[in-house]
Amino acid sequence: MEILENREAWQAAYKEGWLAHWRKTGETNWKIYNRPNHKTAPSGKGIDLSQSRLLLISSAGGYLPASQNPFDAENDLGDYSIRQFSIDSAPTDIAFAHTHYDHTAVNEDQQVLLPLRHLKEMVSAGEIGELAPQVISFMGYQPDAVRVVDECIPLIIAAAQAQNAQAALLVPS
Amino acid sequence: MEGIATTLTSWNAGRTRVTKPPRATFTRLSRGATIGRPHDTAQQKRVLKATLDLLAHDAPLDPVQLNEKVD
Repeated sequence: MEILENREAWQAAYKEGWLAHWRKTGETNWKIYNRPNHKTAPSGKGIDLSQSRLLLISSAGGYLPASQNPFDAENDLGDYSIRQFSIDSAPTDIAFAHTHYDHTAVNEDQQVLLPLRHLKEMVSAGEIGELAPQVISFMGYQPDAVRVVDECIPLIIAAAQAQNAQAALLVPS
Repeated sequence: MEGIATTLTSWNAGRTRVTKPPRATFTRLSRGATIGRPHDTAQQKRVLKATLDLLAHDAPLDPVQLNEKVD
């Protein structure tokens, strides 16, 4: 199945509408943004989570400032790259480069967007088989759906496969 | 992601529903606190468990609305 349904029509509307307006005015006008509107959901078999490796995927813009570059959060056209960091990273080692949500809650309690402590407890309780060793992180401000499909998603899939993930939990911000 | 069972939770049912996720829970939580209120461990665990429980089922599933709110 297509990840982005009606890709060519979506891309034409994006280029002629939202993107053309941004190029002309420098404004990000969401009133004229055509959000993807899908008709079909992906199908797939259920799994026994207690026997599976679960991967956490976050769109909150998390990264390790000591060793990684931040996401380009100020770019009106988005950032389609990913970062990976250990599930054992100390909360104080993780920062968030994403200017499109209020960071008050995540600065107070990282579990609201990166629930690694809770997930580890579920592993200890036998509810989850194990966690994939790296969190996959991206910055969810990505207005170009075609670039999401062509750039970001292949990076996520490759990283997920490299970690032999059998299940994934996406936590958007 | 073909071959990888996926699930998500979202505070924004309107925008998420049209992307047709294979499995999803929806809440009335807020942007920047998707899993629950800060330090409300009980709520965070409820949201996580409900969302992860969907992985046991074949997809696609109809999204599940949770009675989880900001206040």
